[in-house]
Amino acid sequence: MKISLSWLKQYIDLDISAFELVDTLNNIGLMVDDWEEKENEVILDIETYANRPDTLGHLGVARELAVALGRPLKEQSWPLIELNEKTSDLINIKILDEDLCPRYCGIIVRGVQVGPSPDWLREKIKAIGLSPINNVVDVTNYVLFSTAQPIHAFDLDKLTGRKIIVRKAKKGESLISLEEDTLALSSDMLVIADEVKPVALAGVIGGQETSVSNETQDVFIESAYFDPVSIRKTSKKLGIKTEASYRFERGADESFPPQAALMAASILTQMGGKATKGILDIYSKPRKQKTIVLRNHRVAGLLGLEIQEEFIEETLSKLGFQIERTQKGVWQVKSPPFRVDVEREADLIEEIVRFYGYDKIPAKLPPFETLEPALSPKRKAFQKLRQILFHYGFDEVVNFSFVNQEKEAKLQSGRKPIEIRNPVSSKASILRTTLIGGLLENISWNLNRGAEGVHVFETGNVYFWQSDSCIEQCMLALATTGRVGTTHWQSRNEKTDFFRLKSACEAFMNYLRYDPYVFCEEDHTYFELGHSLSLHFKGEPVGFMGLVRRDILDSYSIEDEVWAAEFKLEMLLEKQAKKFQYRPVTRFPGISRDISFIASQEVTYQKIKAAVEKCSIPYLNQFYIYDRFSGPSIPKGKMSLSLRFVFCHPQRTLLAEEVDALQERIIKTLKAEFNFQLREGGKIDK
Amino acid sequence: MKELKKKIEKYKTQFNREITLIQDKKGLQELRNLFLSRKKGYVSLLFEDFKTLKPEERPEAGKIINELKEYVQTKLQALQEEFSTAKKVEKTYDLTLPGKDIYLGSPHPIVHFQQEIEQIFLTMGFTIEEGPEIETDYYNFEALNFPQHHPARDDWDTLYIKDDLLLRTHTSPVQIRVMEKKKPPIRIIIPGKVFRKETPDPTHLPMFFQVEGLVIDVGITFAHLKGTLEYFLKALFNENIKIRFRPSFFPFTEPSAEVDIECTVCDGKNEDCRVCGGSGWIEILGAGMVDPQVLKNVNIDPERYSGFAFGMGIDRTAMFAFQISDMRNFYENDLRFIRQVLRK
Ligand SMILES: [Zn+2]
Repeated sequence: MKISLSWLKQYIDLDISAFELVDTLNNIGLMVDDWEEKENEVILDIETYANRPDTLGHLGVARELAVALGRPLKEQSWPLIELNEKTSDLINIKILDEDLCPRYCGIIVRGVQVGPSPDWLREKIKAIGLSPINNVVDVTNYVLFSTAQPIHAFDLDKLTGRKIIVRKAKKGESLISLEEDTLALSSDMLVIADEVKPVALAGVIGGQETSVSNETQDVFIESAYFDPVSIRKTSKKLGIKTEASYRFERGADESFPPQAALMAASILTQMGGKATKGILDIYSKPRKQKTIVLRNHRVAGLLGLEIQEEFIEETLSKLGFQIERTQKGVWQVKSPPFRVDVEREADLIEEIVRFYGYDKIPAKLPPFETLEPALSPKRKAFQKLRQILFHYGFDEVVNFSFVNQEKEAKLQSGRKPIEIRNPVSSKASILRTTLIGGLLENISWNLNRGAEGVHVFETGNVYFWQSDSCIEQCMLALATTGRVGTTHWQSRNEKTDFFRLKSACEAFMNYLRYDPYVFCEEDHTYFELGHSLSLHFKGEPVGFMGLVRRDILDSYSIEDEVWAAEFKLEMLLEKQAKKFQYRPVTRFPGISRDISFIASQEVTYQKIKAAVEKCSIPYLNQFYIYDRFSGPSIPKGKMSLSLRFVFCHPQRTLLAEEVDALQERIIKTLKAEFNFQLREGGKIDK
Repeated sequence: MKELKKKIEKYKTQFNREITLIQDKKGLQELRNLFLSRKKGYVSLLFEDFKTLKPEERPEAGKIINELKEYVQTKLQALQEEFSTAKKVEKTYDLTLPGKDIYLGSPHPIVHFQQEIEQIFLTMGFTIEEGPEIETDYYNFEALNFPQHHPARDDWDTLYIKDDLLLRTHTSPVQIRVMEKKKPPIRIIIPGKVFRKETPDPTHLPMFFQVEGLVIDVGITFAHLKGTLEYFLKALFNENIKIRFRPSFFPFTEPSAEVDIECTVCDGKNEDCRVCGGSGWIEILGAGMVDPQVLKNVNIDPERYSGFAFGMGIDRTAMFAFQISDMRNFYENDLRFIRQVLRK
């Protein structure tokens, strides 16, 4: 909110520099976002706070400054030029809903010459960035920006029946606003009506018909208190936010309406009008002031600092609080009516320390007494997982949780997306149901900027509906495409492939000691048919990996192949890792045997592995595939496989004849199971 | 005897031939074994022959066998010394060529910075808590002392899924969730994603990261809040950084504070500084003593316990720490940007 220094000076003597002024305000919590120094004037832009409606006018800011600087507020007087007519002779005010309007004041100024305001007023209005309109409107603005009390001026002659009725709107009623919009009113909205129809939307905006014009002779000034919640609901429902509604919804000062009406009438009479006698003030149930108990030991207990009782008493009373000491270190405090935010002891302590100075509070570390593990096992596993993926050359990315509905649909995650009711953009209207889309977006972005390859992973939530609950599931996704790293003088950087992706996945499963896990050939909507694997951990499916479907890649304009994977990270991290347990290392040398076969290309390694494991060959310590090829030297549809078997006895050296027998068993099994043919010279002792 | 002499001659010739072929210490050892091995070495075998000789032949035979043995030993010794003295290895490569670069992945700058923050609090005995990103109105607002229809809610532009279901606008709801199930002492931080209805520009995004902290115990004071945050900010930036606490107003804390650090870009000396706008200060944290109403909402007695809470935008702080002028950089995921975290 804009605050003018010269305007403040009407309330308080300020001979300090602009810099000191800004500093003082910041130190009591009125943050000056920006300020501008002009000739004989400083314009401050002060942050507004939802719970400090009292500072939404120059008077309120001056009040705070007066306490901070230890200066008095100047007395204001508002003399009237009065007629003999009583206000109540000319207008009748009735409140039909005292909950939403506990107080309504009015006064009439007759014979107002509507026209440009005097220079002093035009200057004030311009100083805070508004345009002067006419003297009546300028005066209402002047009162609002001075005191934070919104007031409204009606053309008295246009109020049918000279009646003001404060009531809820009736079904079907409407109002043409000052902005010339036709507002459809609903029955929960509070209106100001005359005898026949609404003439203003209470506390929000006035009506066009009864507004002050150049022909206006007599002005009825309204100064009231409206219920904050009602004002806010109406303003939200109609989408109208005004300076008045902004203040009423934050809570105005219920004691102030008569003074604001008097102030407006006084200025208008100075411009030639004459006021009716007496302010009409309908206020049947004055608000009771609440008493707050303030205890000195709580001040020290909350702040960690002793503050002298004199300081507490002086500060609070200067701020307008009534403070009475009931016993040593205990007070009964009543808030001034403009401080609707101060209701409890903690609120009072804030007031005290605001003026005492936050810089005077010492800085201490709280006593230590934690026995909890610094890092949960889940977080530890997560950090290790990231380290492994970095090691395997995957860069970490973070994407927005919002995605484009159309693009997301192409991925067919199978999860029902959650729509945002009020999205930032139509292209970000749903929450992501998979992380793959984001990674493809990243690949496309980076390839378009000259990257030779992109290898990325992301961890984070996907979101979806499951019957009628919103589910968030933490996932891990990886994607790899193009070349890896940069070319070295010894070798060209290699192209990524499925096994680069798989090795990273195997690595985190192995190094996190997730056991047992198994990959199965299984199709998934993200991937080309027959080009994907599912991963099962402790018997439960945790995710998929494979070659991303061509039509999906086309929608991200990616020409190269992309391999990707997505796992339910939460499920992985929550499961117990296999504990480390020592196994004796054999002292006896192993014997290894290499066997080469010709086999049909249909036979998968996983099947071979399962067959060998099923045999339970004694002393078979490990076995692995070390070569696989097909080509001109191999019959069509076949491949050459070379397997290495390592045998080891824990207590002694194995004899060659023993190993020969075991090897024979393996060969026999594989031949029977898969119709393998032993390759010529495929038997090499080592 | 004659045969013995012939044999010795043959061995000597063989030795002289083989020693010229030796390339390395391994070959040397092999040749030594061939001649001097105690069991099967040629010299040992000669002594076997020696045993079959007549007694009168033995002195001479012994002498010539020993001569061979010494000859072999001396020659091998000489060669051994030759191998031991440094020999210039022929250089076939250019040492100034670059080494082989193993491609390591890089952490994302925000996650990386978040972990730095976590580390500091972990050393202060804080634990890390998490919570859902889709929240109810109660946890996001109501329990934190934002009544329905209170204008304070306007400061948190909210993305809604349903009337009562929203994307959390801060990680504060996790404070409530933790206090509901755990009694003091509580000393936690809550990092995570938060969401606001903001149109993206260089300093605003609809999603960003935040870290909140909460300490509840008997006798926790504003002084502890200051001590904790000063320690944290000094650890995160530097030991000498200037820190300012000034009053502010938040619904869930009372008294409330905002914490500024000095602008290290201009030291407060540049009126047009694009980082601090010329004020010399950067708003970095919101904080305060937990509002008694919030404690009551989770059945913690505010007469017995007190506590403080604070919150910080990770992105905004990272922008200042790394001198990044556009927040959107973090979510474009340009690898040329991300990989700067990893290496120069
Ligand atoms: Zn600066």
